[in-house]
Amino acid sequence: MPQTDTRTPRPALAPSRLPAEAPELVRVTVVTAPEPPTHPAGFLRRNRTVVLFAVLLVLTDRAVGWFAATWDRHSPDEYTARVEGCARRPRDVVFVGGSPVAEGIDPAVIAGITVGGKPAESVYAVGLSGGTTSDFYHGVLRACPSPPRLLVYGITASDLNDSRHEPHGPYSLMTWGDLRRWVRLRPEAGGWVTRHFLKARLGQASDLYRYRHGMRMWAATEADRVMPGCCPEAKREADELRGRADALRDGDGYVPAAGYSVGRYDGIKAAGREPGPFSYLDKYHTGSHLKYLYKLREWCAERGTQLVLIDMPVTADLEAKYPAAWAEYRDRLAGLEHDCGLRVVRATREAVGLGDEHFADLIHLNRDGAAKLSGWVRGALERDAR
Amino acid sequence: MIFASKAFFVFLPAVLVLYHLLRGTGHKYRVLLGASWLFYAWLSPQYLWVILLCTAIDYAAALKIEATPDDPGRRRWLLLSIAANLGLLFAFKYTAFAADNAIELVRLFGLPAPDRTWDILLPLGISFHTFQGISYTVDVYRRQIAAVRSFRDYALFVAFFPQLAAGPIVRAVEFLPQMTTPPGVSAKQVADGLHLFLGGLFKKLFLADTLDQLFVSPVFADPAAYDPTAHRWACVAWAAQIYCDFSGYSDMAMGCAKWFGFELPANFDRPYLATSITDFWRRWHLSLSTWLRDYVYFPLGGSRGGPVRTYANLMAVFVMCGLWHGATWAWLVYGLYNGVLMSLHRAWDVWLRSGRAGGVSPLMNHIRETWAWKLVAWAGTFWLVTAGLILIRMPSWDAGGVLFQSLLGVDLLSGWSAAVPVWVPLFLAGIAAGHLLGGRWPVPAAVRAAAGVGMVVLLVVLGPGVGKTFIYLAF
Repeated sequence: MPQTDTRTPRPALAPSRLPAEAPELVRVTVVTAPEPPTHPAGFLRRNRTVVLFAVLLVLTDRAVGWFAATWDRHSPDEYTARVEGCARRPRDVVFVGGSPVAEGIDPAVIAGITVGGKPAESVYAVGLSGGTTSDFYHGVLRACPSPPRLLVYGITASDLNDSRHEPHGPYSLMTWGDLRRWVRLRPEAGGWVTRHFLKARLGQASDLYRYRHGMRMWAATEADRVMPGCCPEAKREADELRGRADALRDGDGYVPAAGYSVGRYDGIKAAGREPGPFSYLDKYHTGSHLKYLYKLREWCAERGTQLVLIDMPVTADLEAKYPAAWAEYRDRLAGLEHDCGLRVVRATREAVGLGDEHFADLIHLNRDGAAKLSGWVRGALERDAR
Repeated sequence: MIFASKAFFVFLPAVLVLYHLLRGTGHKYRVLLGASWLFYAWLSPQYLWVILLCTAIDYAAALKIEATPDDPGRRRWLLLSIAANLGLLFAFKYTAFAADNAIELVRLFGLPAPDRTWDILLPLGISFHTFQGISYTVDVYRRQIAAVRSFRDYALFVAFFPQLAAGPIVRAVEFLPQMTTPPGVSAKQVADGLHLFLGGLFKKLFLADTLDQLFVSPVFADPAAYDPTAHRWACVAWAAQIYCDFSGYSDMAMGCAKWFGFELPANFDRPYLATSITDFWRRWHLSLSTWLRDYVYFPLGGSRGGPVRTYANLMAVFVMCGLWHGATWAWLVYGLYNGVLMSLHRAWDVWLRSGRAGGVSPLMNHIRETWAWKLVAWAGTFWLVTAGLILIRMPSWDAGGVLFQSLLGVDLLSGWSAAVPVWVPLFLAGIAAGHLLGGRWPVPAAVRAAAGVGMVVLLVVLGPGVGKTFIYLAF
C-alpha cells in the first residue's frame, strides 16, 4: 500500500534570507511510492509508450501505402503519371520534352501519320514540365519499355542550360543504376544528383510523407461531401488534380494546364503587364546536359527507333531577351545536325504561322497555338516519311 | 534555428545521439553547450558575442559577489551584472523605439527631424537569457544559491538550447542543481518528452498556424472587410492562436529538455480557465510572471507599503511586462491595461475581505463559491483577456478600435457569420476541450501512443506547412 505523508515541503535550497514578501507556501500531500519490485521491469515494459508509438507509426505508414492508388489519383506525381501513361502500352510515336511539349503538342492531331511505311495509331506526348535533357532521357527509359518507331524530341534552349539543376527527374524517374551512370557521365553534377536522389529515396521511405498531398486532397473531397463548401480552395485543387490524373492515365499526354490553355500573350502585352521572369536561360552554358542527348541518340540507334528533334517555337520577346543563349543553342543544334546526322525540324514562328496570340506566355502555346503547331508538325513528319 | 524547422529535425536527433553516446558528465555537457551555441548562431551568428558577453559578466559577477565580504562591494558587483544585462537588452530592443519617440517629440516642437532609416536586428532570445542572468546574480547576492564554479555549467544554464529562444525563463535554482547529478534519462522522461514535444508541435503547426492562415491574419489585416460577428470570432481565434503558439513552444522546450535528462518549469496552466485577471497571470507565462514578482514586485515593496504604493508597484510590474514583450506603444498600453485590471481586481478583493462591504461580504463570499458566479467570472475574465490581446495584434489603432467595438457589441442572435470558416469553431472547441480535460486523468500508454501517431498524421497531411516562426521568438 502507498504510504501517505502530509507535510509542508522544504525548498530544495533553503534561502538564508527570505524576500520581503515570500510566496505563500503550499500544503501538499506527498505519496510515497511502494517498494520497487525485486525484478525491475524489462525494456519494453518500461518504454511501452515509446515502443507502442513507434510500432503504431510504422503500421500507420504501411497502411497508408495500401491506398497508394487512391492518393495518387488525388494528387498525381506528374512525371510518374506521364511516363506510366506512356508505358501502359506500346507506342508508335512518342514525343518527349519539357513544358513546351506538354502544352504545345496534341498527339490526337499527329495520330495516323505514316512512320516506316505503316500508320502510327498510338501517339503519346511525354511532356515533363521543368525538365532538362538529362531528365527527358530518363523519362524515355521509363516511358518506352517497348521502343517506338519514331521518337520526337521537342527541344528548346532551356533544356540544355547547364546552370539548371531540376530535382524532379532524380525524384521520379531515376533508379540506382541511373544514378551511377549519371555520376560517371556528368561528374560535375554528381554531388547534386546524389544529394537529390538520396533525398527523394528518403522521402519515399515513408508512405505517409510521400502521399501527404494526395491524402490532403482526398480529405478535402470527403470533407466537402460531408459539409459542402467547407474547404472551397482545397476542393477546387482536388477536383483539378483528380481530373488531371484521370486524363494523364487514360489519355495521350495532352492535358493542357488551365492557365495556359486559354491564356493569350498578346493580351498580356496589350494590358501593359510584364510577362513573368524567365530564369531558365540565366547563366546560359551548354555541354553537360547535351551528353544525355547523345545517349538518347545511342538508345534510339540500338533499338531501331528513328529520332527527330523539333526546335520548338517561342515568342520573339524571349529570343530578344536572351540573344546569346539562343545563338549558342542554335549553334549546338546545327552541330548536332551536321556532325551527328540528327534530323532537326525547325518549327519557327514564321514557318508555323504563330504570333503572340498563339502563346499563353513567353514560351508556352495556348490551345489554339498547340492545334496549329501540332498540325504543322504532322505535315512536317509526313513530308519526312515521303 | 527554430523548433518547427527542417534543420532542427536534423539537429536534434544528431545532438541527442551524440549526447547519449558519450560517457562522462563533462563530455556530455560540453557537447550540449556547443550544440546550444550552434543553435543560437544558426539564427544570430553575428550576435554570438552577446550571449557570450552576458554569460561571462554574470559568471564573474556572481563569483565576485560571493567572494566579497562587505555589502556595498557585493551590491556593486550585482549592479554591474544588472546594468550589463539591462544595458544590452535596452540597446538592442529599445533604441529604435526611443529614437522614434525622440523624433516625434522634436517634430512636436515644429523642428525638422528626419525619419529613422536604420533598424536593429534583435539577438535571439535576448529577453529571456538576460532575465535568467539577472535572476542568477540576484539569487547569489541574496545568498539563496552558491555561485557556480564551472564556467561550462553556468554557460550551459544560460544557453541550454531547448529554452534559449523563447523560454521558459529558467532560474538557476531550478536548473543548476540538476547538473550536479549524473545526467540520465528515465523511460518516463522519454515518454513524457515525446508526448510534450509532439503536443507542442501539434499546437504550433496545426492549431496556431492553421487558425492564423485560415482566419486570424485576414481579419486582423483588414477588419473593415468583415462583419462584427466575424471580428468576435477572430478575436477568440487570436487568443487561441497565441496560446497554442507560445505554450506549444514551451511544451516542446520541456519535452526536448526531458530527453537530455533535464526538467524545465511549466509555463502555462490552462490560462483560459482563469476566473479573474489575477488568476490569469498565475496561469499565463508563469516563468515571466513569477520572475517579475520575485525580482521586481517584491524588491519594490510588494504590498507592504500601503495601498497607493501597492498599486504603483503593480502598475510598474505590468508596464515592464508589456515592454518586455515589445518596444511599441501598443505593448506599453497592453501592460497598462493589465496593470489597471490587476489593480481593480485587487481593490475589489481587498474591499470584500476587509469587511467594509458590511453585510455584503459574507454573502458575496458565498456567491463567489457558486458555479454560476464562477461562470460569470470566467466569462468576464476571458472577455477582458481577449480584448487586451487585440492590442498586440492590431495593425493600427483604427483597426484595433473597430475590433474592440465589435467585441463590445453583445449580439447573441447573430453568433454565426458566413465569413467564419467552419473549421474555426471546431479548432476552438478542440482547444477548449484540451483546457477542460487536459491533465485531469492519467492517460494509458496505448492511448498516448495512438494520440501521438494521430498528431503526426494530422501534422504531415493537414498542417499548413513548416515555416512560420514562433510569435514569442520576436520578444
